[in-house]
Amino acid sequence: MKNNRRTFLKQFGLAGLSLTGASKLISKNNGPYQQAHSQRFNMHGYAAPALDTVRIGLIGIGARGSGTVRRLAGIEGVEIKALCDIVPARVSEAIESIQQFPQHNPDSYTHGQDAWKKLCERDDIDMIYIATPWRLHAPQAVFAMEHDKHVYMEIPAGCTIEENWQLVETSERTRKHCALMSGNCHSGLSAITLNMVRQGFFGDLIHGEGNYVHDRVSDRSRWVRDKSNNNWFGYRPWRVDENVGRHGNLYPQHGLGPLAQMMDLNYGDQMDYLVSVSSDDFTMGGLMEELAAEDDYYKPYVGQDFRGNMNVTVIRTKKGRTLMLQHDISSPRPGSRFQLISGTQGIFRHYPTPARMATSHDGWVSGEEYNALLEKYTPTMTKSFNELVRQAADEERDQLRSYARVNETDWRLIDCLRNGLPLEMDVYDAALWSSVTPLTEWSVANRSNSVSVPDFTSGAWETNERGMDIELLKGGGTTRLL
Amino acid sequence: MRNNRRSFLKQFGLAGLGLAGADKLISPVNNEPFRQTHQQQFNMHGYAAPPLDRVRIGVIGIGSRGSGALRRLRHIEGVEIRALCDLVSEKVDEAIDSLQDSSHNPDRYTGGEDDWKRLCEREDIDLVYITTPWHLHTPQAVYAMENDKHAATEIPAAQTIEECWQLVETSERTRKHCMMLENCCYDFFEMMTLNMMRDGFFGEIIHGEGAYIHDRMGRWFNKELSTWRIEENIDRDGNLYPPHGLGPIAQLMDINYGDKMDYMVSVSSNDFMMGPMAEKLSATDDFWQAYAGRDFRGNLNTSVIRTDSGRTIMLQHDTTSPRPYSRIHLISGTQGIARKWPLPARVATSHDGWISEEEFKVLEEKYTPEISKRVGQMASEVGGHGGMDTLMDWRMIDCLRNGLPLDMDVYDAALWSSIVPLSEWSVANRSNSVNIPDFTSGAWKTNERYMDIQLKHGGTTKII
Repeated sequence: MKNNRRTFLKQFGLAGLSLTGASKLISKNNGPYQQAHSQRFNMHGYAAPALDTVRIGLIGIGARGSGTVRRLAGIEGVEIKALCDIVPARVSEAIESIQQFPQHNPDSYTHGQDAWKKLCERDDIDMIYIATPWRLHAPQAVFAMEHDKHVYMEIPAGCTIEENWQLVETSERTRKHCALMSGNCHSGLSAITLNMVRQGFFGDLIHGEGNYVHDRVSDRSRWVRDKSNNNWFGYRPWRVDENVGRHGNLYPQHGLGPLAQMMDLNYGDQMDYLVSVSSDDFTMGGLMEELAAEDDYYKPYVGQDFRGNMNVTVIRTKKGRTLMLQHDISSPRPGSRFQLISGTQGIFRHYPTPARMATSHDGWVSGEEYNALLEKYTPTMTKSFNELVRQAADEERDQLRSYARVNETDWRLIDCLRNGLPLEMDVYDAALWSSVTPLTEWSVANRSNSVSVPDFTSGAWETNERGMDIELLKGGGTTRLL
Repeated sequence: MRNNRRSFLKQFGLAGLGLAGADKLISPVNNEPFRQTHQQQFNMHGYAAPPLDRVRIGVIGIGSRGSGALRRLRHIEGVEIRALCDLVSEKVDEAIDSLQDSSHNPDRYTGGEDDWKRLCEREDIDLVYITTPWHLHTPQAVYAMENDKHAATEIPAAQTIEECWQLVETSERTRKHCMMLENCCYDFFEMMTLNMMRDGFFGEIIHGEGAYIHDRMGRWFNKELSTWRIEENIDRDGNLYPPHGLGPIAQLMDINYGDKMDYMVSVSSNDFMMGPMAEKLSATDDFWQAYAGRDFRGNLNTSVIRTDSGRTIMLQHDTTSPRPYSRIHLISGTQGIARKWPLPARVATSHDGWISEEEFKVLEEKYTPEISKRVGQMASEVGGHGGMDTLMDWRMIDCLRNGLPLDMDVYDAALWSSIVPLSEWSVANRSNSVNIPDFTSGAWKTNERYMDIQLKHGGTTKII
């Protein structure tokens, strides 16, 4: 693995291009990140050979992973083959949680830091799902593709520009899918809004806004370490570390994904450049001092350089549209994600709720008109999925926490793999959406100067066909829920 | 005037530093195209001019804003409207007619490009109230101050960084007030949030947002109305109208008296509205042919400012796309958040949601400032964007009559207006960041807070 990575970096001239190295290159053209890779094979629109049964191995069975085991287990044609986590209890609990589906009999991988590699090396697995801490995502995804597996991963994909290029290069070379599992228009209001965009309701798009505003720190119970569960705590030990010594938008995908799909980024338009501004930290530093007074565990965090509370990033596309992204997980305020899309004929805004639409300066449409629009523009994918949920009549479903409830994204992924269809989201989406993080870090570190966004499609965006087949025009929709 | 301007530019080393000149400085990224060469000569922040029992006013520009100002000023005790000026004599006549039933009997200045100068040169006027097209604001305010008058100008006060410095330098040298008529600082929820901030409700302030989102397409593409406003949107790109959104947020962050803007970035979308509209109209009406194919400002501009204390301000400008009005007015801190648009206004203190209507009413009760309680109702009856325009005029006159510092001074006028040229520079330079001049020359560190919404001083002027 290490050798693979080193050769890759050398091969594409990216060696040494870490953030510190990059900042020295700023003298010209806002392009610290060179575009050294050229597309070898276009993974956009690529349909892998159809699989009747999708045999899955899962790596990382923490909060996200344990829910995902439960979700995937309830989809027709899925066989859960292997589960991996460094904590054995998590694997056994996950196996327990899917007892109601007798077709699954997964093997456990719990011994050592490299157990996940053994899982990837098996030859009776088609797809690896990754829900480990952020830093492991790209190395594990690359290793999985190198071992002939498709990859389905939690956000983010790559943590650095190099990692994102590495994902693209590996996916193109191995012709294995690499799909992100969230931050998209598969469900709810974003699916309806995407359909409205495509039907021309908003006219030409001008601007979009998406956030990850989600207060993860004010609730003190999230910081109490659970002695019975490896001293784990709600916010996650590794996740706190991610907020030290870096400044930018660390979690752009939830807000960005839907906007990118509405604006046809990677297939019709492309990001050109972005700027990013962070406030200072006004809450985490003080919180650590308070926590350290009660629990020595937090002492090393006192006086650390915590990420600024609010980050505002603005992206401009090649076609002259703009996107604004905000990231704030540490101030006390109601949350928001996919937020706003505005065009020459109308606007949708989600938060503060109730969500609203308007077609003029005169005001938002009435609740009645709003509901009629939702009804009219609900896409086929949503309708099909809802019908399948109804047929499955899984009475437990509504009682499950949201991570454990089967969703459109999982279902459609499996459906596409089983029908030999291109995936709704590909490695270019994963790379582009994830690259926003290191790009914002660069901009923030460089007095918010603008930075050119790499084109992971190597120019194919100009001719790529639209992704996200929400009307199921290319078929599929045949996979049932159990 | 022209000579004054030229020598001013020379004096402060700003000659030639127009946008076009700045453009060429960008390789490698130069974040400081606008040099800071002026040093404060006298601190106009907190400056109290000698009290005036009567405030004798001349108004320049009797269009929609000017005629609105006249409707309000006549209701304020101690105001004497002495002179009215407009290029169009009918406008002046109509205004004089409208004052028939009042005690005011202003002289007329009309017909010539330079009539406003004669108005400024009179010796029996204390305050020149400027409501002309944008490019005239600074020249007229400077001329008024040079002729020993206080100046109150519609927004924006200036169009270029040079003009901003010129206002500051002139105000300091002449010790005349130069207030920008930023009415939104006197809107009710805005002042309520200012009061909440000062009481510590939001904790430490982290972030604010303001906007001017106001679809003006129908008004600007109407040849029966004047066309200077649509022409301002040609061959330039940026946030052309920041003060409405920025003013109240700047006050919530004590900018110019406790914090200072450090740098900003600005990104514009393309134009998807004005070009196509001009094209469409010109097909059937030759009048619009001069506008077809022109380079119109991008529809949506987003600017982000960072302050010395590490807080951020996000500003948007969109006057052309079909969407409901908004100035956003969001303020977020370590203990809570408030946002005004989309209406209704809301407050929250946690992730769990916005507080209920009942709780909101309790806050309103507690945090409505004295100025709103004492004159809010009367101001609303006089009108002007729901009463805020009247509150603004009333407080300005009240301060002048009581010999108090004004709530907003020349540093606010210069800073809030400078966002226009700074955003233009950033947009023209691939959105790179640009340093924001400190118009207070460092006095922001020690300046005291103004915007006296609790009427600790004055508040004695009646609305009649």
